[in-house]
Amino acid sequence: MSAYIARRLLSALLVLAAVITLVFLLMTQIGDPAAATLGNRANEQTVASFNARYGLDRPVPTQFLGYLGVIPCQRPNSGVYDEDPAKNGYCGLLQGDFGESFLHNDAVTEVILRRLPRTLLLGAFALVFELLLGIGFGVLAALRRNRWQDTSIMSLAYLGQSLPSYVTGPIFLTYAAFLFGLFPVGGYGTTPLEHVQHALLPAFTLAILGASTYARVTRSEMLDALQSDYVRTAKAKGLGRRRVLGHALRNALLPVVTLAGLSLRLLVGGAIITEAIFGWPGMGKLAVESIVNVDAPTVMGVVFFVALAVQLGNLLADLAVAALDPRVRLAD
Amino acid sequence: MDPRAWTRFRKNKGAFLGLALVAVATLTAALGPALAPHDPNEQFRETLIDARGLPEAPLAVDGHLLGSDSIGRDELSRLLHGGAVTMLVAFLATALAVSLGTFIGVTSGFFRGPLDAAFMRLVDLLLSLPFLLLAIAIKRVVDDPGLWVLVLILSLLSWTTLARVVRAKTLQVRELEYVLAARALGMDASRILLRHVLPNVAGPIIVLGTTLVAQLILFESALSFLGLGVEPPNASWGSMLREGSELIDSAPRLLLYPAAFIVMTVFGFNLLGEGLRDAFDPKE
Amino acid sequence: MAARKRRDAIGCIAPVAGLLGVALLLLALVPERPAGPRYEGAGNPTPRNGGTFVFHHESNVRSLDPQVAYDELSTMANRLVFDGLLDYDQEGELVPSLAVAVPTPSEDGRLFRFRLRQGVRFHPLPGHPEGRELVAEDVRYTMERLLREETGSPGAGFYMAIEGAEAFREGEAAAIRGVKVLDRYTIEFRLAEPDQSFLYVMAMPFAYPVARETFEHYGDEADRHPSGVGPFTFASWERGVQLTFARNDAYWREYARPDRMVFLENIQRHLAGLRFMNGQIDAIHRQTLDHWAHFSQAERWANSRQTFPRASIWGVAMNHEMEPFDDVHFRRAVAFAIDREGWARARGNLITPTGQPLPPQIMGYDEDLPNAQSFDLERAKEEMALAGYPDGYPREIEYWGSDGDVSRIYAELLQQDLARIGIRVRIRYVSFAVFLEQTGKPKTVELLMGGWNIDYPDPSSFLEPLFHSKNHRPENSSNRSHYQNPELDELLDRARRETDAERRRAMYVEASDLLAEDAAWAFAYLPLTQEVWQPYVMNYRPHPLWAEDYRSVWLDLPRKRVAQQLLGDGSSLPAAFFPLGLFAGGSR
Repeated sequence: MSAYIARRLLSALLVLAAVITLVFLLMTQIGDPAAATLGNRANEQTVASFNARYGLDRPVPTQFLGYLGVIPCQRPNSGVYDEDPAKNGYCGLLQGDFGESFLHNDAVTEVILRRLPRTLLLGAFALVFELLLGIGFGVLAALRRNRWQDTSIMSLAYLGQSLPSYVTGPIFLTYAAFLFGLFPVGGYGTTPLEHVQHALLPAFTLAILGASTYARVTRSEMLDALQSDYVRTAKAKGLGRRRVLGHALRNALLPVVTLAGLSLRLLVGGAIITEAIFGWPGMGKLAVESIVNVDAPTVMGVVFFVALAVQLGNLLADLAVAALDPRVRLAD
Repeated sequence: MDPRAWTRFRKNKGAFLGLALVAVATLTAALGPALAPHDPNEQFRETLIDARGLPEAPLAVDGHLLGSDSIGRDELSRLLHGGAVTMLVAFLATALAVSLGTFIGVTSGFFRGPLDAAFMRLVDLLLSLPFLLLAIAIKRVVDDPGLWVLVLILSLLSWTTLARVVRAKTLQVRELEYVLAARALGMDASRILLRHVLPNVAGPIIVLGTTLVAQLILFESALSFLGLGVEPPNASWGSMLREGSELIDSAPRLLLYPAAFIVMTVFGFNLLGEGLRDAFDPKE
Repeated sequence: MAARKRRDAIGCIAPVAGLLGVALLLLALVPERPAGPRYEGAGNPTPRNGGTFVFHHESNVRSLDPQVAYDELSTMANRLVFDGLLDYDQEGELVPSLAVAVPTPSEDGRLFRFRLRQGVRFHPLPGHPEGRELVAEDVRYTMERLLREETGSPGAGFYMAIEGAEAFREGEAAAIRGVKVLDRYTIEFRLAEPDQSFLYVMAMPFAYPVARETFEHYGDEADRHPSGVGPFTFASWERGVQLTFARNDAYWREYARPDRMVFLENIQRHLAGLRFMNGQIDAIHRQTLDHWAHFSQAERWANSRQTFPRASIWGVAMNHEMEPFDDVHFRRAVAFAIDREGWARARGNLITPTGQPLPPQIMGYDEDLPNAQSFDLERAKEEMALAGYPDGYPREIEYWGSDGDVSRIYAELLQQDLARIGIRVRIRYVSFAVFLEQTGKPKTVELLMGGWNIDYPDPSSFLEPLFHSKNHRPENSSNRSHYQNPELDELLDRARRETDAERRRAMYVEASDLLAEDAAWAFAYLPLTQEVWQPYVMNYRPHPLWAEDYRSVWLDLPRKRVAQQLLGDGSSLPAAFFPLGLFAGGSR
């Protein structure tokens, strides 16, 4: 078990290292951060002082090594940087320092930590909607197999998988929120209660896709479970219908749990458009704004974070399945 | 391939509905540019924009069945041309992604070894990156509005799942007795691949390929929605959707037309893919 | 079996029919867009403090450091926290602010003496939790900070007329020779040569006084702790999301203001329009075509909206160093080919056509400019023939645009117009960053949309950055058409020194005419701005120079839910059906 986890962690580290290198290279090619940050009226002096401040006047390989933290700090604004090379400290990933955002003039960690709870709030609500709707309808469809309820639910599930958020989002926003006045019109609000109110509609928009998927998976797993030997045995033994269903459901939920774990990647990726439509100041919006403004450290931070979440999500999903189902062995 | 697949497919009404929708969409895309009544990029500034500067409604002006978009271009012609662009991108990118995924999946699964490990790490890498974000970044770096750039980006980011499935299937096929026998007899690897492996992985490839078209249509539209789609002034359904979403509270049709096409096409491909899956790999 | 089939069929149709049914039902119930404001003011006759004023922008504030910030948004924010020695009134005339009076220059036009108002206090500073008095020494510190190389101020160039500025900037002098503190409240500026724009330059936010303590204490992080003498103190800033300011009760002028100002960043204009109509934002200044038409026609908004031309100029910038735009005939062909009226029509008349480099509110604009450009397809074709391309230009020309829906529309309008005279244009969209970087380099970008907003109400504020050859540089040129004309340079330099107002005006008219005739740009349009604010927002009038300057508004509270009764237009009807209406709550 622990050897398995160790091996998984090692491979996760490799992937993360590759992600960082790749995104760093991409970001050096994407445009001039000084121009993006300082705007159309900057002059040579402004640009030079900006570049010096963030160490962008160093060669790219040096910048990269400095970013990683394997050579001394390259950013005069970092706090550990010293003009005297002998005294210079380190300020890289290895030291847990993600650098300073150009656009936000603040530590990337701080920026992400402010945005993260909002995306998590959105994601949590979306997940709740997905699971409630998905499992509920999936079970109903399985129990009413081949009846009209089943066909209706399954048709809707297919339709749901074909409805992108950039179609549903503007429609919900304009009709449900603005014209009918049922929800706040975009934004985030200021108090916790308002955050929740503001989260409902974008979360539902996000949840349509997942709910459709979960409904289909739940249905087919439920059907399998209902036909399996132990359910038949349980029935034959005269176990109550309710308890039989409970057993079947428990087994049917395994793949759903796995899927939910894997959906972490979609949390940021999928939220990009929804957050943009609803003006929700989360990680997705941050990511797009950072790319547009060539805010390389922030993009790196976000991508690193997402990649980390994906790796952990995969691992947790595997462990959860193992915990729920003793037949699964953690091997290759 | 399983000969009973076709029989099963024929009995599946959902799959047939999907096939019909796909056929409609493909025909629209193929014939659309020829059927379009106007040049999709011509701005009829004098006639198709009303006094307030807003687009004319459907049928308000003779010869413009669906009215105009926000700068006076014929909406119907743009929809018809836009479909061609959207479908072309989706089909080309799918073809590329499927070829790439099949090649990598089969070689990894069949030859194993370090190559396999390297490919699978690459898959891990791509799967742990946020898809859309990466596409936005690459599109910005390449900074060329050409169609082929879009096709390449879409395909390079989407072959991974297919490669994984094909690899798993290849691993199974590789251990089948007759394949083992063929190898023991010294049959050429390329002939084994062609004669025994490919036919066995064809099912999943067709199924995944079909759903991939659906995903790539959504994906292309998403990029267009973020303003990173096809080269202006050309339309794609996604870019029309973006332009329409600003006018949604006075002219929701500008959002609904392209949305209907996108949803219909994606729905069709999803249904078809599911029907094919049931046909090739019946669970019950 | 038959029954089963029927059930299947129902199953397939039912959900679609159900969805359609729900959609139709909802469509039937869809309320109209509210015809007017949701909330009215309470009708208080006298101004009073209180409330939160919420405004927004679709982009983000870049800096709260007045010496560094140089964009409209940052100025919006900075003008809440900082004050200048001089300011402009609603007519765009210079008026004293922190200075007691607008100084009169000495006889030779080189000496300016500012006397500061007494008792003006800074917001809390490190070491001075209660703030401290603003003195002449602070103005001197500000000028030095502004000119110092390492501050990286993009505005330093404006102040080079001050004697010794160059030497100080180069590090050759410890102080600026031309800046002298005479006593606690008096400071004197001496220029190397007369400069008619100096007082305007002193009214720019670059010269807004800051306190030494802020920068000595916070260093690089100073712009997270801005402290000025303005009507509001800085409260918080989550970059890219929102800024908050609180009323400064120790402000030197007494007038009623809101308790808090909230500046939302990065809100798209469509979303902003919806939120404004819903009463969640208090003022908007840029709308989608659709919302523009709505607000400009809705009667119930008539008392709280204003449409006015902005002091800025837009046109098609052609790279004079690159073929074929090195040929004046080719450039003129482009200038004649632009269907300016058609553009205005396609943009719902939110722009005004123009054919000369200066906007009307600036001295030097001439309604009857002899060579003003206009749309004339025949002459455009003639000019094409003169340029040697009677049958069109063979190569495809690359147009660069920065992304954004509006920029996209102008690109497409231009593309169609040029196609009519046989110039094929390929549109290339890049991010704003790449656009600025590349267009600022010589011989890189052939064709682009150029625009410039006013810095100070003087023609030099437009013509010099856009067309003077000193602003053609290897990097970061503001002269993005890379226009170089010694005759124009000489004219502009002369005009800058000229002290006689009438002669000066004539020189700028001459310069405008020269630029129009030479087709330095194809001048195209003047943007209009339509500002709309809620009826309870009092004492707001759009300022001719400062975009969205909300520093003097007060809120006619309580306004909050006078609200729902105002909705005579049925918007509240469906809400009664939906218990979910609970969730809609106020959001502020």
